[in-house]
Amino acid sequence: MHMLAILTRLAWRNLWRNHRRTLIMLLAITLGTWAMIFMTALMRGMVSQMVSDGISALPGHVQAHHPDYRDDPSIANLIGVSDTELYERFSTAGFRQWATRVRVPAVITSEYDSRGVTLIGVDPEREDGMTFVDYDAVEGRFLESSDDKGVVIGRKLATTLNTELGKRIVLMSQDPDNEIADRGFRVVGLFTANVMSFEEQYVFAGKTTTQDMLHIDDQVSELVVLGDNYRDVEALYNKTLELIDDGAEVKRWTEIDRFLGTMLGVMDGFVLVWIIVIFLALSFGLVNTLVMAVFERVREIGLMLALGMRPMNILGQIILESLLLLAIGLALGSALAWATVEPIKEGVDISYVGEGMDMWGMSSTLVPELLLSDVVLANVVVLILGFFASLSPAWRAANYEPIEAITKV
Amino acid sequence: MVKRLPLALILLMLAAPVPAQDHDATQIVRDAVNHWRGLSSDSVMTMVIHRPDWERTMTMRGWTKGDDRSLIRVLEPKKDRGNGTLTDDNSMWTFSPKVNRVIKIPSSMMGQSWMGSDFSNKDVARADDIIDQYDHSILGIDEVDGITVYEIESVPHEDAAVVWGKEVLKIRDDHVVTEHRFYDQDSELVKKLVSLEVGEMGGRVIALRQRMGKVESPDEWTEIQVVSVDYDIELPDSLFTLSNLRNPRE
Repeated sequence: MHMLAILTRLAWRNLWRNHRRTLIMLLAITLGTWAMIFMTALMRGMVSQMVSDGISALPGHVQAHHPDYRDDPSIANLIGVSDTELYERFSTAGFRQWATRVRVPAVITSEYDSRGVTLIGVDPEREDGMTFVDYDAVEGRFLESSDDKGVVIGRKLATTLNTELGKRIVLMSQDPDNEIADRGFRVVGLFTANVMSFEEQYVFAGKTTTQDMLHIDDQVSELVVLGDNYRDVEALYNKTLELIDDGAEVKRWTEIDRFLGTMLGVMDGFVLVWIIVIFLALSFGLVNTLVMAVFERVREIGLMLALGMRPMNILGQIILESLLLLAIGLALGSALAWATVEPIKEGVDISYVGEGMDMWGMSSTLVPELLLSDVVLANVVVLILGFFASLSPAWRAANYEPIEAITKV
Repeated sequence: MVKRLPLALILLMLAAPVPAQDHDATQIVRDAVNHWRGLSSDSVMTMVIHRPDWERTMTMRGWTKGDDRSLIRVLEPKKDRGNGTLTDDNSMWTFSPKVNRVIKIPSSMMGQSWMGSDFSNKDVARADDIIDQYDHSILGIDEVDGITVYEIESVPHEDAAVVWGKEVLKIRDDHVVTEHRFYDQDSELVKKLVSLEVGEMGGRVIALRQRMGKVESPDEWTEIQVVSVDYDIELPDSLFTLSNLRNPRE
């Protein structure tokens, strides 16, 4: 114990003998650690945003469709069980929220332009809070009932089509017999969405109105169930599976949006890889510093050995030097990371690159997510790897021949 | 009818010289439809598609029968020869000998241009149930060269699959439509179909040359000139079938 105290003292003093080099190294470690933690927090934030946006796109932690619907989301692939029947089965099941929708590809036409969109026939009372559309934030109004004759489109789509609130547009799709099904609708509301592409892609109409237009009496394309926690949907899944009773294919959201589901799973591994990559860059500097420190002190080390210090202690001293350096750097880096995350806790506006982020299904504010586990992981990984990296110079120092070392010029 | 008008005009350009008995607007439009309906025709026409930097001329032969069956086949230029369009009710199919496939035009493509012209597939294919989907009213009655011309405003119903705010037609009392203007919902003129030449052919007074163009791009238009036309002839039902579209039997 006494020995360790002496070694620590020696290490500490040695560290500051060449304080400029130590400071530079310290700066590198601090920056590296900051980058590890800060960037991880940003990436974490990005992923959870993508997941929550992705789910709230048209959520449903669990969804049911016709087995072929996901390959071909057309009118031909409707859920085999009628909407009324579904209502009877599901309304008493005690789900937090659930709804059925008609969801088909359609073409929206104004006087000047037309666009391909996804037409969603919804039951507005049952959908409140389930779609990405905030009813209160809709310019105009959202749909009022299932047989509302109006349509709610995205603000950006309205601009593209050169139409506006209160004007009529025509929606065109196909009925189950492949005949054209179309109808004029008046635009009653314009919604804004976090993810810009949603504003161009989705068009909401009343479910009953949509069913009439498409000549499907009482059928729907999808059933969505919302639970409390998106990470744990097993119970929800099993219950839905049981209720639907072979009438449709039931999927968890991780299966529906595999990209997001996988993303969530890959993230943990990715954080580790990221930390290691940064550490590798750092370790060159670290090893170099230690090697220099050892070379400068060859005669001194030789003298210590000649005076009877054991090689193990020399080894320990060098490693301690390295660990002290790392510990200070890590502490500073972690503190710096916290200090930079703290002021942007509420989210960073990245709308100037919003269109690019959109392609990833991201919204235009980025909320960093600083997890304690990530900070601990970064610190532990760097300390352990740093220990191994400093073994080699330390080993070399410990194995000097005292005579040779002392006489070295 | 109003929506179907372009095709009606292209193919039939009929004009039975029956004096309009009823000056009710809906009746005038319906009369025009009814005269166009139930008849058959066999015509040859040329279509000129004009753009600022190029122009293209096609010669086509078209047959119509009954309410909404029609077949149009390209004769010239040679590289497009055999391209055909068949319509029946609201459906539309095209055939191109080059790919040797009959393609049903999906709803998503109905708004697109027909053979590169200023007419959309919808203009060509839509059936004539539109009389009931508009409210018609007479804006004015004019006398041009001794012929009474009714100016009729047609406003689509709330749920009609029509994007226009209103359409204004000029129909002569011999049922020749001389002008068809399409307005957006701010009452701005978007495009119009004008009869540039009216004359007698095939025993009827019809619009011989018509031009469709958008108002905001006056350099772009499509003109249809009737070369010859026969009315009220016997046409077999087999003419308007997919197999005939693919393998012409004439």
